[in-house]
Amino acid sequence: MLTPRQMCRLLIVASKDQLAPVVKELYRSHMFHIEDFVVEGREGYDGFSIGTPLTGATEVSTDLVKVRSIENVFQIQPADMETTVKRRHADLKSVIERELPAIGREVEDLTGRRLKLGATVKECEQKITDIAPFAAIPVETELYRGYERFTVIAGYVSKDVAVPEPAEVHFTKSKSSNFIVVVTPNDHRSDVDRVLQEANFQAVPLPAGTGMPQVIIDGYRDQITSAHREIGEINQKLTEIKGRHSEFLVACEEILKAEVDLAEAPLRFATIGQTFVAEGWVPSDKVEPVKEALAKATGGNVFVDEIAVGEHDPVPVEYNNPPFARPTQLLMDTYSRPKYTELDPTILVSIVFPIFFGLILGDVGYGVLLLVMCLGLRKFLKGEEGQQLLAVLRNASISSIFFGVLYSEFLGFPCPWPYLLPSRHLNIGAHATGHGPNIPGLMMMAIWIGIVHITLGRTISIANHARQDHGSHRIKSVLANVGWILMIWGSLFLIWSMVPMPYMPDLSGLPPVVLGLNVPSLIGIAALVVGIICIARESALEIVELPTIFSHALSYSRIVAVGLSSVAIAMVVNYIAIGMLIEPQLENITLVGVIFIIMGVMVFLLGHVMNTALGILGGGLHSLRLHYVEFFTKFYKGGGKKYSPFGLTRRFTED
Amino acid sequence: MAAEVVAAVITDLEVMKASQIGMKAIAASFAIVGTAFAAAWAEMAIGSAAVGATAENKDIFGLVLLLTVIPETIVIFGLVVALLLIF
Repeated sequence: MLTPRQMCRLLIVASKDQLAPVVKELYRSHMFHIEDFVVEGREGYDGFSIGTPLTGATEVSTDLVKVRSIENVFQIQPADMETTVKRRHADLKSVIERELPAIGREVEDLTGRRLKLGATVKECEQKITDIAPFAAIPVETELYRGYERFTVIAGYVSKDVAVPEPAEVHFTKSKSSNFIVVVTPNDHRSDVDRVLQEANFQAVPLPAGTGMPQVIIDGYRDQITSAHREIGEINQKLTEIKGRHSEFLVACEEILKAEVDLAEAPLRFATIGQTFVAEGWVPSDKVEPVKEALAKATGGNVFVDEIAVGEHDPVPVEYNNPPFARPTQLLMDTYSRPKYTELDPTILVSIVFPIFFGLILGDVGYGVLLLVMCLGLRKFLKGEEGQQLLAVLRNASISSIFFGVLYSEFLGFPCPWPYLLPSRHLNIGAHATGHGPNIPGLMMMAIWIGIVHITLGRTISIANHARQDHGSHRIKSVLANVGWILMIWGSLFLIWSMVPMPYMPDLSGLPPVVLGLNVPSLIGIAALVVGIICIARESALEIVELPTIFSHALSYSRIVAVGLSSVAIAMVVNYIAIGMLIEPQLENITLVGVIFIIMGVMVFLLGHVMNTALGILGGGLHSLRLHYVEFFTKFYKGGGKKYSPFGLTRRFTED
Repeated sequence: MAAEVVAAVITDLEVMKASQIGMKAIAASFAIVGTAFAAAWAEMAIGSAAVGATAENKDIFGLVLLLTVIPETIVIFGLVVALLLIF
């Protein structure tokens, strides 16, 4: 439970003619995590080389690429698809050979045509842009070209210009630019150019084609419209094909992927002469079944042996958690998967994370809202990670309801029963009465949680070092962590013996024994001294980190702070909506009053929706942060390699 | 005469009390303003780097989200101080 699944290292040796049955059996069992063979740098593998793919690998790969390209056109994501019916592998294989090329050709033709039409649309739009400025001039386009003694100049100018005679000028003024067309004898060209340059002239090409510019533009517009219509028809056809074949395509991808994996597996094995060697990992409890299955598949012509696991071997890590803790593995993977040798804290996180979330967003109303949202979203969020996230959020919202009952809160309103945890009700509004929130109580609660959580982290660190380290280093590391625990509790004893604090033992009244210090303070001082020595023995630099015992414990006060801010927003929303907008109007209902009441309801709904969103962010992120920063830094290294067994979980096909 | 003196002293005391509450509120607001500004400043730098890093590699979103909220501790300490001042 607190450790990852036990793994065994397996060595499989057989002659090359057994390659296909061995690979097939390993794929079917879906248990063997292949350790890829690297040619250089492996001890005991001199003269070995990587294997060659099984026959047919290239053809299957080509088919797979084709299927994926079609899926890409349709934007089909196998992870988002639901399994309606499982197709039989053998049936599908014959259908693939028959239908896949035809579907591929059809889709290719349609997308090619769509691409061409898209290019036509762009081209026409560009031509319209080019010719548009000439539309205001009532001259046919062929009249701009073909002169020997005259030059036609067209372009944009910053202002109207006085072009020297003799010249024919047409000036069009619009909001964003000024367009000018000048026809001048060739002799005067330089004079005209000079005048135009002064007005920041930017030339545009003269229009092509024949006829009035507006008629040409209308022609292009017609082309664009018909292209769009045709694109629409193609899209409709593609949607039809998608609807008809999407299940077939994902099933194809699945079996082709399986076949590619099978065919290319020898590339991950070592081979020499007529023999191949595969190394990999199998969960300890599955070693015997795998061995038996391999022997059966090859008729006993295979040698399988367990190899001792070395201390620095990169053992793949598979979680080993009870069902309720499994969704939390998502939060662990976000940080880093545990190493094989260290304790896996997933189960602790799965218990403590919802508690922190509940302590922050402890409100029956928000809890119910979140729970409904999680259950509703389960249909829409596909994929394993999405489901895990929703399960984590579901647990968190149940905890939020539970703590809402303890805090006696419903959307910021007090519930009819008394609060069982320190009160978080603020005095907001003109007529607010009551004694306000119990800040000292809440603070002390948070700090107690921090102290216990950090002590737990340090205790796990002791266990980790005892498991992982050796010799004097092990003793030093374990003692350093004991030292940290002594520092925390020594400081606490010292504080308790000097200052009376709420919700903490008051030891200040005990009689002094030596130098005005009483017994608990002496215990505290002794713990501090021993603690510092233990920490310094491991690493003197760690002394710099001593203040973190306070800063990390105080950091847990965010549980109160973020929670209080959520309560404050809820109460302010309630006060604005009900106290200021709705209630005064209810005494004497008028038309304006009804508008105010509607506004009040809107404020109430919007305010609480926003606060729920903030609650998820605040509650979720801060609980997560307390784990990642305050808890994990005490003991957790992470960096484990994911156990990904050779094989595929079939979703759309079956043998 | 004596009654007037007593009344004046009581009024003075009330004024002092009220101004003390006011000073506490101002001090609390300073604690929040300073730390909130510091947290925002720190998150500005981390946030922009985080977005850049996520653009390069989507897988680190979880980690950078976490890095971005780390400076929030500053404002939480400010809030703790403010709450201790007022309550």
